[in-house]
Amino acid sequence: MTAPTLALHDVSKSFGPIEVLHGVDFDLRPGEVHALIGENGAGKSTMMKILGGYLSPTGGEVRLDGQRAAFSDSAEAEAAGVIMIHQEFNLADHLSVEQNVFLGREIRRGIFLDHKTMQAKSRDLMEALEARVPPRTRVSDISVPEKQMVEIAKALSRNVRVLIMDEPTAVLTGAEARVLFKQVRRLRDEGAAILFTSHKLDEVSEIADRVTVLRDGAVVAQGGIDEFTEDAMATAMVGRDVSDLFPAKRAGGDEIILEAAHVDVPGHVTGASLSLRKGEILGIGGLVGAGRTELMEGLVGLRPRTGTVTLKGTSLPGGDVACARRRGFVYLTEDRKGAGLLLDKSLTENLTLPVLHRYARPLIDRKAEAAALDKAITDFDIRVPSRDVKVGNLSGGNQQKLLLAKTMLCDPDVVVIDEPTRGIDIGTKQQIYTLIHRLAEEGRSIIVISSEMPELIGLCNRVYVMHGGHVAGELTGSEVTEDNVIRLATGLGSQREDAA
Amino acid sequence: MSTASTNAGARRGMKIDLHVLGPILALVALIGIGIALNSNFLSYGNITNVLARSAFIGIIAVGMTFVITAGGLDLSVGSMAAFIAGLMILCMNLLVPSMGQSLGVILIGIAVALAAGLVAGAINGLLVTRAGIEAFIVTLGTMGIYRSLVTWLADGGTLSLDYGMRELYRPVYYDGILGVSWPIIVFAIVAILGEIVMRHTAFGRHCAAIGSNETVARYSTVAVTRVKTLTYILLGCLVGVAVVMYVPRLGSASASTGLLWELEAIAAVIIGGTVLKGGFGRVWGTVVGVLILSLIGNILNLTDMVSPYLNGAIQGVIIILAVVLQRKGSTAT
Amino acid sequence: MTRLTLTTTLAGSLLCSVALPAAAETIGVSIPAATHGWAGALNFHAEQTVERLEEQYEDLDFVLTTTPDPGTQISDLEDMVATRNIDALVVLPFESEPLTGPIQRIAESGTWVTVVDRGLSQENIEDLYVAGDNESFGRTAGDYFVETLDEGSKVVVLRGIPTSIDNERVEAFQAALDGSGIEILAMEHGNWSRDDAFTVMQDFLSRYPEIDAVWAADDDMAVGAIGAIEQAGRQDEMWVVGGAGMKEMVQRVQDGDSMVPVDVTYPPAMIATAIELTAMGLMSDGVPMSGDFIIASELITQDNADQYYFEDSPY
Repeated sequence: MTAPTLALHDVSKSFGPIEVLHGVDFDLRPGEVHALIGENGAGKSTMMKILGGYLSPTGGEVRLDGQRAAFSDSAEAEAAGVIMIHQEFNLADHLSVEQNVFLGREIRRGIFLDHKTMQAKSRDLMEALEARVPPRTRVSDISVPEKQMVEIAKALSRNVRVLIMDEPTAVLTGAEARVLFKQVRRLRDEGAAILFTSHKLDEVSEIADRVTVLRDGAVVAQGGIDEFTEDAMATAMVGRDVSDLFPAKRAGGDEIILEAAHVDVPGHVTGASLSLRKGEILGIGGLVGAGRTELMEGLVGLRPRTGTVTLKGTSLPGGDVACARRRGFVYLTEDRKGAGLLLDKSLTENLTLPVLHRYARPLIDRKAEAAALDKAITDFDIRVPSRDVKVGNLSGGNQQKLLLAKTMLCDPDVVVIDEPTRGIDIGTKQQIYTLIHRLAEEGRSIIVISSEMPELIGLCNRVYVMHGGHVAGELTGSEVTEDNVIRLATGLGSQREDAA
Repeated sequence: MSTASTNAGARRGMKIDLHVLGPILALVALIGIGIALNSNFLSYGNITNVLARSAFIGIIAVGMTFVITAGGLDLSVGSMAAFIAGLMILCMNLLVPSMGQSLGVILIGIAVALAAGLVAGAINGLLVTRAGIEAFIVTLGTMGIYRSLVTWLADGGTLSLDYGMRELYRPVYYDGILGVSWPIIVFAIVAILGEIVMRHTAFGRHCAAIGSNETVARYSTVAVTRVKTLTYILLGCLVGVAVVMYVPRLGSASASTGLLWELEAIAAVIIGGTVLKGGFGRVWGTVVGVLILSLIGNILNLTDMVSPYLNGAIQGVIIILAVVLQRKGSTAT
Repeated sequence: MTRLTLTTTLAGSLLCSVALPAAAETIGVSIPAATHGWAGALNFHAEQTVERLEEQYEDLDFVLTTTPDPGTQISDLEDMVATRNIDALVVLPFESEPLTGPIQRIAESGTWVTVVDRGLSQENIEDLYVAGDNESFGRTAGDYFVETLDEGSKVVVLRGIPTSIDNERVEAFQAALDGSGIEILAMEHGNWSRDDAFTVMQDFLSRYPEIDAVWAADDDMAVGAIGAIEQAGRQDEMWVVGGAGMKEMVQRVQDGDSMVPVDVTYPPAMIATAIELTAMGLMSDGVPMSGDFIIASELITQDNADQYYFEDSPY
């Protein structure tokens, strides 16, 4: 067994009076991919930040090559070859891909920047990641998965000894994740130690050599990947059995509640038609960039669109999201932090924002608002240390539950939920799936957009798959399989093309 | 993550106090200095003077609080005030020959001022929201336009209200009820209403939401365009109200009327704790900010301790100090 | 921003003057923008004079620019020389220091230069200097105070924007009061603005229970000060002397207003004097015109007020 490159020895970490890591022992060896898994709030981020030099431990020590290493900041850690890629991108939006990759480490020739070399190098790196983005493109103009690839390229461009990746695949599709893994394996074979976290346990099985499971700030299980089945990992993380992730599937009623015909969303979607039945959980599959989000945003009125949308038998005007909400049609965004919640505001202010008029007559009834929050906290099992905490300080899972509560406060008949469980731990996932089912049982109709195959297959009885801005096909009942979805999503065997 | 936030929440609790107390402490300190330096500082006359002269900027700054909270900015208010004052005086002078020196003329003048404020605010608002131009650029443009228009209306000189009308209209600035003069009363009403609207109505909450994150507000079905436009219209109307109180003071308007009012109003808003990039605003803080700015000038006039050449420097230092004090309270979280 | 380039020649005259290089002469006039009353009147008189002279002399063209700051004024002057090829320049420098260099270069190129009111920081650059007399402005007011007030009287002073003009006026005023036994309680800057003067005067009134007279150094400030005094109900205690000869104040002197017993001139029409003299020098060969032309400040009293009242002027 090789000696560990980077290790934690009996590390604990407290914020004020609260200890969030309790005596953790952990090591990262050269030439291995080590998966760190655990529920949101288990202490994964804190642990990674200590490894990456962003936080210093309250007790115990960090050891680099067996020597005590006290990184005073991330720059020192990076100088020692320890590089961390954050879940929230650390990119300058207005700079180009090339400028970002070499930010702070620009290659110079004399006093001038050597653009030619930097461009060539960043192009090579991006090509290795199969992301064909010209190096001069501004980061603000590229897609979320491409941004992730830029982050990774940035890390690859350095002399990496230890690479720490916080949920790198959360925003990637399966195919993109596979490209990433190829690069990860290359780095591993070159002798780097790689730590990565993911909520997608199938990925963990695929890429990791060793697994450490963290629960409530302590290591509860550790071992080679062959010692763990996916179920065993989930059970260790949650502390209870979660093999029944999805409740039994349900088909909708006969009544069609929402119908879209020949809908165009300029620049993103052409000629999309679909229908939704009452009480149904309908899936929308496809690759990132296929136009799924844009189509739904168009239907609900967040984007300009043409074509007809019929809601409960009457036509719905375009471009008026408030009207759609009044008529019981709402959209829950995939972009929790950018479009879903006001991170610097309290839970209450977020919860009642879409329906504030109900609480204002004309002065806002704070008691009624507080009651609404109480109910939301109970109904959606939102775990908060205090009512006044800012939403930005909540874990991803609790934010997602709050966003669900906020959406459901509109009392909608039709809800579009875009990526309902992105970046959420398995325990919370199960809760959210159960919740979605409950909503359908109440007679509401739900559209789920998801890039996670198991989610689509586990939740939906009927799935539309989109490809390149078109609805490529519809799958029902037993047709909803991973194979069929992928075939349609990648443009193979499109029904639309068959028809044409 | 969630455990860490408990801790952050607890720490913030203490700092919010500093954040809230900052401007009040500065105000109290200034009042203390004033009392120590001049025995007339607390006299009825001086207090009335300071409050009444704060009224114009104060009324405008209340409106500015909404604009800034919703993530906007309005640089045109000073010129707008001068233009509206000029327009109002011109209209009243034109009406005197036909209507005589009557109350009717004053009422029409007031209506003109308020309507002009509304239209001017709507122009700013629509250019920002519908045409999608940066608020800074739009209002920088209208600032120049209104300033030129008033210079043009006044032919480069001063527009003066008809002498008889001035006598009739004068009480609106100089008189009051129970010894409290009208500008102070109007300022107080505007401030109280503003505070209620900001804290207790959907409109105020929507402004903060838009300033905090416009996309989130839009996705939450808030009528972003309407709310933003309304903030500019509200500000325009309040500029009209300020002008209604300003014109009876000296009965004139010129190219130098309202010079730099926009900066004083913005400074007052920021001193009061409203965040310049939007998302959080408090009207009472703005009122405190306006009073702080007025008191600095007043105290400097009441003593010889500081060379008058340095008045601007002292104001600048206090503005920066007031904001630094507050930031100390909020950045650490 | 307020820079409006007023080419007062007839439409297309630019083309004409290029096409007909006859004896057409061009005079450039550069003055500060109308940001306060006195400057407004300056603009008024400048425009009037230009209009009149263009009718009078067929061969004479004018370029009139108004500038909001010294930087713009320098650009304006450069434009005039470069694009309009001016033969003479009448300039009221926004500030002395920054404009001395640019004006000197224009003078050295052989262009006739008339400087108005604000002297340059180096001597003998200009051909003609037309100015009001700031010292006389302060002294005339001061003399009136000494004549009218008893020993031991108390006065307050509202100063203008801190500039050399303001300093010259205030120093002359103080010199005039020297030894008279009149006490200057305080001096603050009212910035030649009605609103600022109103505020400062309010605070003076709070601070001093006894004030016998106010020297406001400018008629706009006098209007503000009077507003504050009336508010305090102390108009019987004191009177106010302004300066510059604003229509409204001259009227009050004429009417025998007890609060405004006199006024002191500082005529904005001096720009007309300067333009006229320059035009005359340019059009009538051989008439000697160089030198200094200083317009003294005079005391406007009820007896002579009608001579200083100009119906059409905006000021």
